[in-house]
Amino acid sequence: MKFSIKRTAFIQRLTNVQRTIASKTTIPILTGIKLTLTNEKLILTGSDSDISIEAAIIKSDDNAQLEIEETGATVLPARFFSEIIKKLPGDTFSLNTFENQQTQILAGKSIFKVNGISAEEYPHLPEIEISQKITLAADLLKKVINQTVIAASNQESRPILTGVHLTIYQGQLTAVATDSHRLSQRKIPLDINDLNYDVIVPSRSLIELARMLPDSSEKVELRISENQMLCFFDQTVFYSRLLEGNYPDTAQLIPNNSETELEVNANDFLAAIDRASLLSHEGNYNIVKLTLDPKQQLAKIYGNSPEVGTINEVLNFESLTGKSLEISFNPDYMKDALHSFGQTTVKINFTQPLRPFTLTPSENQSNFIQLITPVRTF
Amino acid sequence: MNNRKLYDDFSELEKQTNRSVEQINKIKEKLMNVIERNAELEIENQHLRDRLEELEQQKQSTGNGLSKSRKNLEKLYEEGFHVCNVDNMYGTRRLNDEPCVFCQNIIYGERHA
Repeated sequence: MKFSIKRTAFIQRLTNVQRTIASKTTIPILTGIKLTLTNEKLILTGSDSDISIEAAIIKSDDNAQLEIEETGATVLPARFFSEIIKKLPGDTFSLNTFENQQTQILAGKSIFKVNGISAEEYPHLPEIEISQKITLAADLLKKVINQTVIAASNQESRPILTGVHLTIYQGQLTAVATDSHRLSQRKIPLDINDLNYDVIVPSRSLIELARMLPDSSEKVELRISENQMLCFFDQTVFYSRLLEGNYPDTAQLIPNNSETELEVNANDFLAAIDRASLLSHEGNYNIVKLTLDPKQQLAKIYGNSPEVGTINEVLNFESLTGKSLEISFNPDYMKDALHSFGQTTVKINFTQPLRPFTLTPSENQSNFIQLITPVRTF
Repeated sequence: MNNRKLYDDFSELEKQTNRSVEQINKIKEKLMNVIERNAELEIENQHLRDRLEELEQQKQSTGNGLSKSRKNLEKLYEEGFHVCNVDNMYGTRRLNDEPCVFCQNIIYGERHA
């Protein structure tokens, strides 16, 4: 294998691929990065056996100025390799692999010789012979991921809940995540009508995917097999293992009716919750109390720490209707939920002090819903 | 007044008295019936009241309070254990006593068929 390439373009791909490569793994060769050179492109492959990424640099890419001299493949230790590339002098470098897998990296007056491993020993990436694909805009997929992963569990003891439940049914994609304390559900329409899927994707994979997705409406292609999800975009293939098991029924958790309704500006409310949580974080119980009195048109928030003190704040709101209510909850969940709405008005629907309440954008209430379970305080 | 007239009057009085006795007996019999009926109704009334009370109690327990089995689950939950079985978590400790939406749905949620 022999090629030369522009360093900046190479580093950009390399960092994406390197993210998945774990420093510790049960399969030693996975600490390496695989380089494959064909007549048209250079492919970088990295994997931690859960997530695998293949990123290609094509010959016609003017930014990369890829010059292919001799095709081939090798596996190089990822950590050293990326450090070397980042610190090389000059704009371009060339890479040359010899028979014994020794690889020479040349840039300016600097010559590195790195011992590689034969590419044949690198595990094969899952082959997916599924032609059915789901196409959607990259920025939309990114948004769906970022709005749901916040609610996924990060406890290894709850494997299923560490995933995001994706269902595709009747031309609609529904993404749900819950750690059993709160839940986030986002629905988007798709162009397809005849595909049905029901899978659980590890939230860690989705977070990685969202990091790599471009912030544009460029098309992303999803393919789903029995135990893998593939995502194609921008000369990159992202593979993720799927979680095995049944996701609990979450539709029944979302209340249909409400007895008290509060409409607030998400940012104002977020700031108020943030202030109240300053004190609640100190105590053993991370709880703030919300008191709603529609008759007097009064909404108050109360935070307390036995050692430090208390906070009382009268809230600004757009509207407040229904029965009066006193409810306590973990302010961190509320903050996460409010963050995901951005600058908009949210409608918060309460039923009873012990039943979960929901947050939806004031406009378009059915597409995005966040649910929070209150804490019993009496 | 001759003796004959006296006898006739006395006969007449005897007939009248007999009729009165007959009437008294009839009224007495009717009164007995009424008293019996009254007792029956009183007992019946008591039964109905008991039943009503029973129904009202039942209504209260399904409306405001929880059924006995749900109360048991609530007690377990409040002691800090999961009563839902998502990810095989039934009976495991709830971390930091954080609320669990699945458990709460089982305890307080509407009954699902």
